[in-house]
Amino acid sequence: MKRQIPLALVIILCFLFVGHTFIPHKISDNFYQWWLSWVRTMTSFAVVLGVMSLFTVHWGKISRRMPNWQYSIVTLGALVFTSASGFIWGTQQGTPYMWLFKNVQMPMSSTMFSLLAFYIASAAYKAFRARSPEATVLLVSAIIVMIAQVPIGMAISKWIPEISNWILNVPNLAAKRGVALGVGLGGTAVSLKIMLGIERTYLGSGD
Amino acid sequence: MNFFEKLQALDRRWIYLLVALAITIPLVVVFDSKTYTTTPTENIYQLIDSYAGRDDRAIMIDFMHDASTMSELFPMEVAILRHAFQRKVKVFTICFLETAAPLVDYAINTVKEEFPDIQSGVDYINIGYKPGALYLPIVLGMGDDISEAVKTDAEGRQLANLPMMEKIKNYNEMNLVIETSGSGFGASWFVYARPRFGVNVAAGITAVMAADAYPYIQTGQLVGILAGLKGAAEYEKLVDLFAIHDKPFSREIARTTHVSITDDTVPYKFKAARIGMNAQTVVHILIILFIVIGNIGYFIERRRNKELN
Repeated sequence: MKRQIPLALVIILCFLFVGHTFIPHKISDNFYQWWLSWVRTMTSFAVVLGVMSLFTVHWGKISRRMPNWQYSIVTLGALVFTSASGFIWGTQQGTPYMWLFKNVQMPMSSTMFSLLAFYIASAAYKAFRARSPEATVLLVSAIIVMIAQVPIGMAISKWIPEISNWILNVPNLAAKRGVALGVGLGGTAVSLKIMLGIERTYLGSGD
Repeated sequence: MNFFEKLQALDRRWIYLLVALAITIPLVVVFDSKTYTTTPTENIYQLIDSYAGRDDRAIMIDFMHDASTMSELFPMEVAILRHAFQRKVKVFTICFLETAAPLVDYAINTVKEEFPDIQSGVDYINIGYKPGALYLPIVLGMGDDISEAVKTDAEGRQLANLPMMEKIKNYNEMNLVIETSGSGFGASWFVYARPRFGVNVAAGITAVMAADAYPYIQTGQLVGILAGLKGAAEYEKLVDLFAIHDKPFSREIARTTHVSITDDTVPYKFKAARIGMNAQTVVHILIILFIVIGNIGYFIERRRNKELN
């Protein structure tokens, strides 16, 4: 029963949603609206569940003095303080919540993302080598596209942006479209297998 | 150890230091550089500009990113909002990521400081954060009635009661959606909303994602893209060149006219992307130099190893 009921739910709902998409009838639309009210309710519960889970995990770490338990205090403190500032003073411009966003979240997130530039530079120097003809093509393409992305590319020659555009619009486009078609067909095949009950690994292991 | 062997074994901390200097110096010492506009950016500008002064047309910006990708995406959001506020184009803003909600507010207020006449509910509506689980129902629901799909804005007001909604009902009026994203490029909008309701979709994306978007520009599913900081810089230039002076858009003028960024009349926040492009130029040159030097060292070492063997 633990597997059969969820399996039946998935199969039935899959067919109902396909029906709703292809048969724009009042009955299917009413069903969809009814389903949406369930989605809204479940989303609210998911938030509560997430907060409870976060508290349980980190409170357990703190109470048992597990390795790096101090970070859990920061996590829970940030959760309580940020939520409280939003609930008490609102989230608009000029509130403590917005101050936290501008002075804590923004610089921290940007710092993490900007590390990418340093790693790319280091990798370009240490690992980007013309070891084979394929690697050479990749390397030359990368240099052309990189130089065309910045104003100096056009200043050197109007052909650099032209060649860069050709690289992006012809070989890149063809490869990306091939990948997209493959992903699309694969997704359709997996969806059909789930709808027909052939693919069951999402139910977890066991009998 | 000869020179090239030393270069091959260079401590990566020296590379980090050079990159840090290459980024920070051009940001502090601003120099003038030319911005060349491209067709995907011009297409978005032209479409938004065609809605100027109309009560029965609007655009929507979907903020689909958090603060980490702000350096690339925020300048384009500011530039689009500045264009819209200057040319009296109605704007909706929305986000489906809770971490994007303050960003929307921040972007609107950044631009609004220069446009004291612009009013919430009249010239723009910030729908604010809506849960990700409702993404698809909202995307599809707006095709019938925007004020039914999202009943309230970020301030809790009924959308249907706001003056801006008088002549705007669905995608027939709100005919352009721009998704600014660090992880997608408006796929849900052009997969679900475009074929069914005919809405135009554009994307503002980080530079690393630009290559993924090209197939969708070719098919017309995306009317245009703003690709990374370069896209933002191009849009900033177009706004400075045409919108601010109430001039009609012209591709020829856009491509042949230079707009200075050392001029103090334009606030820093409205040329942040172009100044950032200066840093990007220096870093790109530095990385290309790294690649070239690294490869020279590699080939010399390989030849020496062959000779020894």
